[in-house]
Amino acid sequence: MGQERFADVVERFTNGYGDLLAASAPPERVKQWQEEFDRTARRLGNLHRLVTSPVEPKTGQTPREEIYRKNKSVLYRYRSSRTHRTPLLFVPNLGISRPYIFDLLPGGSFVEHMTRSGFDFYLLDWGVFGPEDNGLTFEDCVTKILPRMASRVLESSGTESLSVLGYCMGAPLSASFVASYPEIPVKNYINMAGPIDFSKIGLFGLWLDRRYFDVDRFVDTLGAVPADLVKAGFKLLKPTMDLSTSINLWWNLWNDKYLEGFNALNKWANEYVAFPGEFFRQWVRDFYQGNKLVKGELVFGGRPIRLRDITCPIFVVGAKEDYIAPPAAVHALIDAVGSREKDYIELPGGHISLIAGRGASLHCWPKVSGWLAPRS
Amino acid sequence: MVDPAATQQFFDLWRKQFEEGAATWARMVSQAPPPSAPAMDPVAFWRPVLNSGLEQWARMFATTPVSPDLMQQWKQFLDQWVEAWSRALGTVMGTEQFAQMMGTSLDQWLTTVAPMKKAAQQSVDTALETLNMASRTQLTSVARQIVELEDRIERVEDGISAILKKLDELARSAVTAR
Repeated sequence: MGQERFADVVERFTNGYGDLLAASAPPERVKQWQEEFDRTARRLGNLHRLVTSPVEPKTGQTPREEIYRKNKSVLYRYRSSRTHRTPLLFVPNLGISRPYIFDLLPGGSFVEHMTRSGFDFYLLDWGVFGPEDNGLTFEDCVTKILPRMASRVLESSGTESLSVLGYCMGAPLSASFVASYPEIPVKNYINMAGPIDFSKIGLFGLWLDRRYFDVDRFVDTLGAVPADLVKAGFKLLKPTMDLSTSINLWWNLWNDKYLEGFNALNKWANEYVAFPGEFFRQWVRDFYQGNKLVKGELVFGGRPIRLRDITCPIFVVGAKEDYIAPPAAVHALIDAVGSREKDYIELPGGHISLIAGRGASLHCWPKVSGWLAPRS
Repeated sequence: MVDPAATQQFFDLWRKQFEEGAATWARMVSQAPPPSAPAMDPVAFWRPVLNSGLEQWARMFATTPVSPDLMQQWKQFLDQWVEAWSRALGTVMGTEQFAQMMGTSLDQWLTTVAPMKKAAQQSVDTALETLNMASRTQLTSVARQIVELEDRIERVEDGISAILKKLDELARSAVTAR
């Protein structure tokens, strides 16, 4: 009797299962579920590959040649069809990160976009500094490195003038240079996410305030700012960043193209670069604590740095959700320069979304090349 | 009733698949792929079985009121939750108290690090000196001298370039004067 009942239960279950499988469900719903399950299967496959056989992303593939080297800093030339005569010198940040973010992957590279748009592109790679460079200052970069790099651009391209583009910290560096070296003819100047007014700099401004942060003690003790401390500072600025990155990674893990981009960007995002000690001291004291650039109180190599001495056409690009260089701190250049022709745009996204990713290639880069083209 | 012959057939099929799968896995484990060969994808072998299973699950789930939109809603919820945490943390980290606390912690850390760093440096220098080897400080000093030398050479180059330029201008003006 018991056995019969058990058999009945099994039969009922198998029949029910069969009914369930045969049950009529909306075909679109079945298709949606199939797609969802398939995505999950692909996620698992890609996760397995990511963990067991990670592939080193091939970044920086645009062909280039070394034009000039000064200590660790190298000037690279990316040749183009040269539709526009005036070359462009790109000045990125010193320390913090490596510059291959600007040439991340084919089809997602700022350098590639600019060379395809017909600009001869010169990238200044500041390099990775060691303890022997701890004496290098911000002033040295403005008075000793940048003028030489700009002269080499003019020599190499055979032109009388050049355009300069400063990104992030590269903007205050290059703006100081452009303002104080009138003998190097700069035709156009672009500031992308570069802070100028440090009274509007946000969290870093508060943390580095002289009431709480003794930069002299810091540099005297450590000699330089190690890469790990730079990393800790930036991670603290947005503590949830790693979590949202992981959530987005899992969500898009089924997409091989996304994974390729993630690998490259993740490699860059975890490769921090140390600051030379004296550079950091001057950067914090004169910019974050003194806000001397916008006040016109800097004197480098005996030359006063007055932003109003910049008179060439300028283009400033800010990012709405930039917490490293908030748009207000970037926009300040517009009011500080003596140029008559000056344009400002504010794009959605954060600090990096101006220079890498799909949004940058769709919204930012065409605007930069579009502004520069008729002026070059 | 369930047909016993059909059940047997199903089990035979399952056993065959299992044996083939096991053999493939054994081959994968025992034979290391050549370095140039692309990494094997273990999911690829199970793909047909997986797809069939997923299809059945999809049909089952499609009869329930739960739709795949739920995943999208879950993702949105997670994003909003992270964003809310980010804002909350941002508010806390943007206070004077937090900045003060961070400054104090950094000061304390530096107080600990400075003597440790000095002691470690001294002991390493002493050890290297005993072994008659150059210390990091000495190597750094040599590297710094090379950097300074490079600077000087560049200054000399600049000077020569300026003189050559002037000579060139003088030669041109002399030719024009003639």
